[in-house]
Amino acid sequence: MNIFVEIYKYRQMIASFVKRDLKGRYKASVLGFLWTFINPLLQLLVYTMVFSVIMRAGIKDYYLFLFVALIPWIFFASSVSGGAGCVVGQSAMVTKIYFPREVLPISYVLSNFVNMLLSFLVVFAVLIVAGKPINFLALLYLPLIMLIEFMLALGLAMISSAVSVYFRDLEYILSIVVMAWQFLTPIMYSQEMIQDETILKIFMLNPMTSVIIAYRDILYYGKVPDVSTLLLAAGMGVGFLILGFLVFGRLKRRFAEEL
Amino acid sequence: MREEMDMPARRQNTQVNRKVVIEVKGVHKKYRVYYDKGRSFKEKILFQNRNKYEDRWVLKGIDMSVKTGEAVGLLGVNGCGKSTFLKLLSRIMYPDKGTIRIEGRVSCLIELGAGFHPDLSGRENIYTNAAIFGLTKSEIDERLSDIIAFSELGECIDNPVRTYSSGMYARLAFSVAINVDADVLLIDEILAVGDANFQTKCFRKLREMKAKGMTIVIVSHDITTIEMFCDQALWISDGVVASSGKAKNVVEDYKQYLNGKLLDSVETMEEAEEPATTEEKTTEAIPTEEKTKEDVIVEETTTEAETAKAEAADGEATEAEAAEEEDPNEIDYSANRFGLKYIEIVNVVFRNKAGKRIRTFIEGEPASIEIHYEIHKPLEEYNFGMGFYTADGELIYGVNTQLDGISVKLDDTKGYIVFHVEEMQLLTGQYFFQVAVVDINAVPMDYFRKYCDFDVVSTKKAIGTSDVKHHWDIHPKNSKGDTKE
Repeated sequence: MNIFVEIYKYRQMIASFVKRDLKGRYKASVLGFLWTFINPLLQLLVYTMVFSVIMRAGIKDYYLFLFVALIPWIFFASSVSGGAGCVVGQSAMVTKIYFPREVLPISYVLSNFVNMLLSFLVVFAVLIVAGKPINFLALLYLPLIMLIEFMLALGLAMISSAVSVYFRDLEYILSIVVMAWQFLTPIMYSQEMIQDETILKIFMLNPMTSVIIAYRDILYYGKVPDVSTLLLAAGMGVGFLILGFLVFGRLKRRFAEEL
Repeated sequence: MREEMDMPARRQNTQVNRKVVIEVKGVHKKYRVYYDKGRSFKEKILFQNRNKYEDRWVLKGIDMSVKTGEAVGLLGVNGCGKSTFLKLLSRIMYPDKGTIRIEGRVSCLIELGAGFHPDLSGRENIYTNAAIFGLTKSEIDERLSDIIAFSELGECIDNPVRTYSSGMYARLAFSVAINVDADVLLIDEILAVGDANFQTKCFRKLREMKAKGMTIVIVSHDITTIEMFCDQALWISDGVVASSGKAKNVVEDYKQYLNGKLLDSVETMEEAEEPATTEEKTTEAIPTEEKTKEDVIVEETTTEAETAKAEAADGEATEAEAAEEEDPNEIDYSANRFGLKYIEIVNVVFRNKAGKRIRTFIEGEPASIEIHYEIHKPLEEYNFGMGFYTADGELIYGVNTQLDGISVKLDDTKGYIVFHVEEMQLLTGQYFFQVAVVDINAVPMDYFRKYCDFDVVSTKKAIGTSDVKHHWDIHPKNSKGDTKE
């Protein structure tokens, strides 16, 4: 429990890290911070081109169907695979100053999270422009599912960042794993396309499946997500977060020596 | 390992009303030393034997207890583990065995400006850096003006840090670390940066913070700093505490050890030096002006310049200490070095019969021991003494000029006296050398319980510490082999 009190004490450090990361992300580029919005828009454009014009998917407003799932996925994927480098990348600080090491993955995931929130401005703009009806009751569940996804992403980022201190290949391995993971999650397709009951059950073991389903329910279908979906997602989110803290807490003791 | 490491821990500073803020018990730390480290997957799988490592214990059971408002100096030669110990204290690393308990906020200056971002301005870096020490924005706001004022950066505070000189960089980093109102401040060898003025200012500030109850742990090679600033000291050697207690005493123990090391290196260094003339075998006083070979003497580790520098930074304390030393009743006889210092022993040199500096005597051969002195306050007459001790601390032989009926009157403020050994009669082994100068009433002026170690080598196979001139005679009386009655 001590660690949470300590992390709270270091909130200023987390805030300044997040700020620095967001500011620094598009530093020296001409459009600067605008890229935060341009990037998802351009992605949307590409997907619309590919799936509405070239490869017809047979799902109504497929670009929206994809978009509302893709933005949360990008947050998750970049937190987990990019997060692998967040301790190694700060080796100069880790070996020289004390601070709760958890600050590093937390601020990394948090800055990705803020980035996702900004992208959501684009998502809403697109939804409104496309004339999708917005269910405000369902929208109330959006912060909840975001929180669950945040816990999940943080838990996994803590594991990946701590393990990659000892095993540097993890970062590269993860980029492949995350790509495969993307195809195993109903992002480009609907979970209803899976006919086999057993396979569907296995699919639901993937923590991101229920998260993505919930996002899509809220934003695309405009309905309140199933309680079972939410419970499953929340359970896995909390579980991975606890696991992340445990693994990180165990491995962080020798960070300074390994770096 | 040398014998003096077993010196008993000196009595702790007795300030009962203060509470212990740093408690270190039996701390062990090992490093894994990989024979050939493979970090990547391929290397881990393909070359499994490359992952073999050896545990190297850098700290083997350190105990320390520090009370509020105390300053502790960590001493030791390079690689002895003192920086590792500081990293353990700062929680950058964790001990493998033992416990460390620190109460309150810890601020550390292990490397100046670690965490500074070169592109951000000084002001922005104050915020990020202070945040690293766990301060919130409002806490930093409160301290901002103090930090900027202390750093003396003035208008440069809004320039990017990369444009700073190393001195400015150090000043900014120090200002932040010292202004976070830590309960415990850890400093590693960094006060050498910045100009003399800023250093003085740092020490003044540190002393001020200390008076307010901040506990300070300093690692330094500059023993003068530790002697002047710290109350307590801990000398770490080969991962264990070689000596601990009052800073002055520990520093003396450490200096004495360095003297020994110095003689070692000088011996090897001057192997090829020119032989000097053998002097008469009497105890005599020779004024400095006459010595020729003295130019090559490597001085004791604390040079005069350093002392002067430290005194400048530390005026009041020196005066206080000097006053304390004036009174013979105040002499701490338990220290390794003690005395009123009216006359000081600045160096002792062993020479063999050819005049080469040595550290190992050869049994049966002549040798000489030069005791170099410096007079600060002239006395009418002096009494120089010396002794050989076994490594266990048993006196083998001790003598002084008074016992030998020689009256020593010195006119020049600097010079040396020579003790000529006609024939070294100690047997093979390690010994230590005691040297002292006292006044005519035996009030210690400068007394080294242990000045340094020395070795003696002998071709004789006899056991014990000292040779006895002898020969055997065997007298068979008759064919039965009976000895003489």
